[in-house]
This record gives sequence, C-alpha cells and structure tokens, in this order.
Amino acid sequence: MKGYILKRLLRSLLSILVIITAVFIMVYSLVPRDNIFKNDDTFRKLSAKPDDKTDYIMRTWQNIGYLDYQNMSYYCTGLYGEATDETRACVLAGSKESKEFVDLYESKGYTVKYFINGAPYAYKDLPVISRLASWFGNMIQIDHPWKVKDETNPDLERRLYFGTTPTGGVALKCSGCEYKYQIYTDSRFPFIHQNILTVYLGESYPTYKGLKILDVIFDTQGQEVKKTVTFETGQTGESSIMFGTCRYKSVLDRLDQNKFTDHYASCMYKKATPSMVGISFIMGIFSIIIAYALGLPIGLAMARNKDKLIDKLGMVYIIFIIAVPSLAYIYIFRYLGTTLFGLPSAFPTLGAEDIRSWILPVISLALPSISGLMLWMRRYAVDQMSSDYVKFAKSKGLNQHEIFKNHILKNAIIPIAQGIPASLASCIVGAIITEAIYSVGGMGKMLPDAIKQYNNAMVLALTFMFAGISIISVLLGDLILIWLDPRISLTEKEGRN
Amino acid sequence: MSERKIILSAKDIEVKFRVRDNYLTAIRNVSLDLYDGETFAIVGESGSGKSVFTKTFTGMLESNGEISNGSIMFEGKDLTKLVTDKDWEGIRGKKISTIFQDPMTSLNPIRTIGSQITEVIIKHQGVSAEEAKAQAVEIMEKVGIKNAANRFDEYPFQYSGGMRQRIVIAIALSCHPEILICDEPTTALDVTIQAQILQLIKELQRDLKFTTVYITHDLGVVANVADRVGVMYGGQIIEYGTAEEIFFDPQHPYTWALLSSLPQLGEKGQDLYYITGTPPSLYNKILGDAFAPRNKYALKIDFVEEPPFFKVSDTHYAKTWLLDPRAPKVEKPEVINNLHEKIEKMTSKGGAFYVEQQQ
Repeated sequence: MKGYILKRLLRSLLSILVIITAVFIMVYSLVPRDNIFKNDDTFRKLSAKPDDKTDYIMRTWQNIGYLDYQNMSYYCTGLYGEATDETRACVLAGSKESKEFVDLYESKGYTVKYFINGAPYAYKDLPVISRLASWFGNMIQIDHPWKVKDETNPDLERRLYFGTTPTGGVALKCSGCEYKYQIYTDSRFPFIHQNILTVYLGESYPTYKGLKILDVIFDTQGQEVKKTVTFETGQTGESSIMFGTCRYKSVLDRLDQNKFTDHYASCMYKKATPSMVGISFIMGIFSIIIAYALGLPIGLAMARNKDKLIDKLGMVYIIFIIAVPSLAYIYIFRYLGTTLFGLPSAFPTLGAEDIRSWILPVISLALPSISGLMLWMRRYAVDQMSSDYVKFAKSKGLNQHEIFKNHILKNAIIPIAQGIPASLASCIVGAIITEAIYSVGGMGKMLPDAIKQYNNAMVLALTFMFAGISIISVLLGDLILIWLDPRISLTEKEGRN
Repeated sequence: MSERKIILSAKDIEVKFRVRDNYLTAIRNVSLDLYDGETFAIVGESGSGKSVFTKTFTGMLESNGEISNGSIMFEGKDLTKLVTDKDWEGIRGKKISTIFQDPMTSLNPIRTIGSQITEVIIKHQGVSAEEAKAQAVEIMEKVGIKNAANRFDEYPFQYSGGMRQRIVIAIALSCHPEILICDEPTTALDVTIQAQILQLIKELQRDLKFTTVYITHDLGVVANVADRVGVMYGGQIIEYGTAEEIFFDPQHPYTWALLSSLPQLGEKGQDLYYITGTPPSLYNKILGDAFAPRNKYALKIDFVEEPPFFKVSDTHYAKTWLLDPRAPKVEKPEVINNLHEKIEKMTSKGGAFYVEQQQ
C-alpha cells in the first residue's frame, strides 16, 4: 500500500515536471517577448523617452528572467559605490569606463548596444532550460537568519529567539530572516502558522505588478478590516495589519518608524473578501455539498421508480441542463432568484459578509452537478437493479427497501465516490461562467486573463497548481475506491489452501 | 405415488408479457402438481417457458409480466393473488427458495459471504446477529465449506465458482424451505463441479426433506436426479411422467427429438442430431400443436386442433394426437431405443454424469 502510493506520487511528480517543462518552453520561447508590454501602463507612459523605455524593457526582461542585463549605472555603482562623484562621472556617455564596459561584456559574449545618448548597454539571453531549473530551484524557499542581505544595514542581528506577537500569541521570532515571525500562533484557523517554508512561483507581471503570484491568489481582497491594535512602539491605532506576515523592508519611512522598532515593516493587511482561491473554494464546497445531498437521493429515487413520474420529471431536468447552455439557465435562474426572493444579482452588491450574496452563485454552480450526479446515480443503480445478485436477493425474500439499502446503494456509490476528490479539486480551479455572471472575484477568470494579458509567470504557476491538484485528486479517488471496494486491494494476499 | 401429499398445485397457469404494445403469451394453460419430497425436473429448450413458469411460484416475474389466468395453491393460499413484497413475506425465500444459474454473479461482490447468509436468517427467523452467525456457519459446513467460521468474513471473489454455488445453496436452504427451485444450477459450472453440486443437493434434500424443482436443458442432470420429469415446449408442458417413463417410453415427438439430440448419443463421423426450424413465436396465437411445424411425424390435425393430454399410465401423460386411437402407428426414432444402456453408461462410474450413490 505504502509502496504503491509512493510510486504513484513519484509518477505524479514526474508528470507535473513534464507538464511544467512543456508549458514553460511554450510560454517563454513561443510567445513573443514584446507582447508582455501590451498591458503595461508604465511602458506606455515612457513612449516619449526612448532611452528610458529601452532601459525599462531590459530591466523588465531581466526581472522576468529572459536575459541578463548590464548597463553603465550598474557597472559604475559596482566600481565606485552608490551616488559618489566618481560614479556620476562614470555613467556619462563617452567616459573611459564605458569603453572598459564594452570590452568586458563583449568578451563575455554579451550583445552590446548603445542608447541614443551614446551610453552602452549589454545583454545576454538566458537559455530556457537553465531558467526552468531555477524556477524549480526557487520553488521552495527556506527562511533562515542569514537570508536578508542588506548593505545599508550592516548591523542587522542574526538570531532566532522566542517571544510574543503584538496580538498576544507566542512566536519563534527571527532577526535576519525574511519573515520576523517564523512560527506563531493566533486566533485565525489553523491557529499555528509558519513562515519557514514558503512556496515561491514567481512574480506577477504585468498585472498585479510586483506581487508574488501566490500572494495574488491567496490574499484577502476588497476593503480592509480594521480594528484597534497596539504596535511594537506602543502606538495604538486602527489597522488591519496581520503581524505574522511582516517581512524585512530595507528602507523605512516615517510611518513605519512610528509603528515598528525594527526593519520588519512590510506586512499584509486583512481584507473583507476571501482570497480568489478562498472564494472559489467556499462557493465550490457548498455547491458540491448541495449537489451530492440532492443529486444522489434523487437519482436513487429515480432508479427506484423507473419510468414513473418522478423518473420522468428528473429526466426533464437532466435534459434541460444538458440541452440548454449554462449561460442561459444561469441567467434564467438569476432572474427567478432576484425577482422572487429579492436576492442580489451580483456578488459585490452586498459583499462576501452577507450570506445572501452567496446563495445564487452557489446554487447556480450546483445546478449542473446535481443533474450529472442524478444521471450517474440513476444509471449505476439501474445497472445494479438488473444484476443477478439483486434478483437473488429478491428471491431470498428481501423487500425492495432492504435490497436498495443492502445491495444497490453501496455498489452504485463506489464509482461515484471515486469522483469526489476530483470535484473538490475542481472548486479550486473556479467556475468561469458562474463567477463572471455574478461578478465574483474567484479563480475562474485567472487563467484565461493571465493568458490574455501575457502574465506568463501566472500562467505557469496556475498550470502547476491545477496539474498538481488534478493528479493528487485522481490518486485520492483511487484510494477511496480501494477503501470502499473489497475486490481492489494493493497488498499481496497470502495464498489460501 | 398418487397417495403422496400434494404440496403445490398449479392450475391452468397463463402468463403474459407486455412487450412494447404487444402481448406475448409465455405460458399457456400449464397445470402441475408437486408432491412433497419429490424431485421434479422441467426440461425444454431455451424460450420454452421453464423459468417463467417456476418464477410464478415466487412472484419473481419481471415487472412487465403478469399471471393472466389460473391459480397456484400452496399451503391453502393462492400465490397468484399475492402482489406486494409484504404479501410474499414468509413465502418467498422462506418456504420457497430459488437458486440461479450463475453462482459467479448471484452473490453481491462487495459484501461478505457471511453477511449475505445472515441477512436471510435474520429476515425470516428474526434471530439475533450472533445466533444468525452460528446458524450460517452451520449451514456453510453443511454445504461443504471447510473452515467455515474463518471464511465467514470473506468476499465472494475469494471463493471459487463451485464454492460460490455452495454458498448460494446455503443461502437458499438457510430457512429450511419446503420447495427449492433450482434454475439451471449447474450450467455455469464445469463437469466435475456439476456432479458435486448435484450430489450435494441430493444429500441435503434427503436430510432436510424438501421438494426440489429442477429447471434444466441438460438431460444428463435429469436422468441423474429427477423422480418425475415434465417436458416443456412453446409455453406448455407437453409430456410428463416418471423419469423412467420419459426416458424409456417417451410418447411425444418433441420428447423423441429432444432425447435424440443428446450429444452423447452421437456417433463418431456422423453429424449430431438437431431439431430443425425454430420455436413458434409466442406473440401469435398458436393453432394446434405448437411443435407441429418442426415435427416430421405431424398429422393434419396437429395443425388444426390442440391435442389433449392422453393417459399413458397413471403417472405418464402426453399431449400428442399420436396417442389417439385413430392415429397411425408411428415408431419412435431408432437412436433413442436402448437409451437405458446408454444413459447407464453415461452416469455410471467414469461417465460424465456419474454421481456416487450413497446408501
């Protein structure tokens, strides 16, 4: 059993690797790299300043990892330090250092070009494979006291220590790490949190510029939820700060200095609406619960009363859902919900805090799942009903209720139970049409939007997440099958005599 | 034999099935008396109505079928009047049990053997789970499952085909039924297992004293186990009598044809005998003798009027105009003469249907 699961996990990892490699190569070598600027406002503003624009393009490409970029500013700062007189003389076009720069980078195999003002710059494309390797290499980040490298703050302490959080929890704190609170407790589920191991899937660009991708999809959205807090300096105020998320910030402004006694001032703020993943997941979970709670009993009832009224009504519903495009029936349903029950027609009208906002999207999402489950449950139960052992059970003298309870239900549910993890996983992927109709800020639109906006890192990260979740859910489905069906077993049975 | 107690009496049973907008008459006025403790075998080709007829004893007809005429008297009750599961409670599975053809599929694959036996015992006898388990283990041992207590919690896939049929028999007999209907109990089993299963049913019948109805198209089985035999064709019993009478003095041309078709009677180098043509369509009203179109001995009247039962002996009746005094004398086919010796050969030691006789 353990061996089997391990083997399946290894194979899963391998498939994920293959998928990511394929998508990585597609995204970074087949999509023209100029396209990423199409949705970039900063880029548009620079159109009057060609040198700045070129510099911006190069720096962006460097950030995303297409190439390694060098210019006189980096070169001179490296030689003479930041903002010295020598540096200022050095960066001017035609300085003696610019000649050295050109010679140096030409000898290193870089392509050297010149700005309109005459200053040289150099770049060298990075091969896709090495970028792929570093993508995987950076995926898991381990925090440690020597993580922060800040030349402007050479006196930074490097140590781990125990302490408390401003909200009253206990914490393993760190100085020199990226996160101040390595392990901490608070009142938020699951009550103990850690920042030692973090997953990094790249930075978002050009949408959600500068944010880590996982922060984009896992952070709460909307308005800040403020409450009175006391900061480390003793200052109290209304804030939605989440202390546990505070990260090192090298340049502190006055406001930061009023609140924090150290450099850990880059924090995240709690907002009213759940994160994109959260919102899709909550909607999905409830719609799945509704779908299973209704679909299975109705499907069973249909099988039990085959060709009678309830079966025919159920069939009408199933055919309606299959035949009518989802866009159409969701609009019909939304119209009914808003006119008959006065429910809001869009999610943001009342917001995530109000339960009425959730009702229509959740039920809209459940409609097709209910019909699917009804259809399959009916089908499997009818299959079982015509099986020999059900006939034999009848001839044993069991009544219809006992036959359904003992001989049909479990047999019919086994193939359906196998699909439960996959339907849970599909929640995370989000529901594009339902979310669009109700203006829900969920995951549904993320992948199509990311593709449309050339947010390549986002495309990769989502591909990775979705592929991983799907593969794991298939594995879980198989394990459920093993658990439910005695005929399927992974352990070697001893021979019988 | 006539002084023995009649346990079940079916009179003029007619069964109709609704297929789309047509009615199909599967059983046409069949009457049968079953005597207490006997073994009655119903033989006939596929589609002759053997299974449908016995299904009426337990109300197991498919939902589109109905008994349109006749009565089945069992313990003072008319079984044709019973409709719901509740009506059948106490009879189906308790007084009258059935075992089906395919042991591979007769047991629920994902429930333990034990639970499938105890559910019947608990249902019909209302005993506690422990008591039911004790009874189940006992009956498992009785049907020849070694180490029954340990195998109680195993699943059907851990049992071989023959073992599963033993379990099916155990389930059918767990409530000590009066009548056991065996619907082709050995068809799906290989020959050596067949003999074991037949032997087992025979022994259990002797022990537990129930009446057995065999449904089969295997005349070897019939020769081996049956006290009396009924031959069915086109939804009717066309001849019945003791096994001796049917095998050694058959009267109906269909019985002749059936016996001639025994593959064991074929001789090397010659084609096996088979009955030409196909059985009559049961959608239409059958005029005269249903077998007439395939019968080379058919008389003119066979196509016009249905023959009545002619008495051959006190126990032997056949439904053929050939027995009418006015009919021409017809000799039965050569191949089924001396059937006695041939059957003897088949069922004696070394033969395919040999069952060890125990005294």
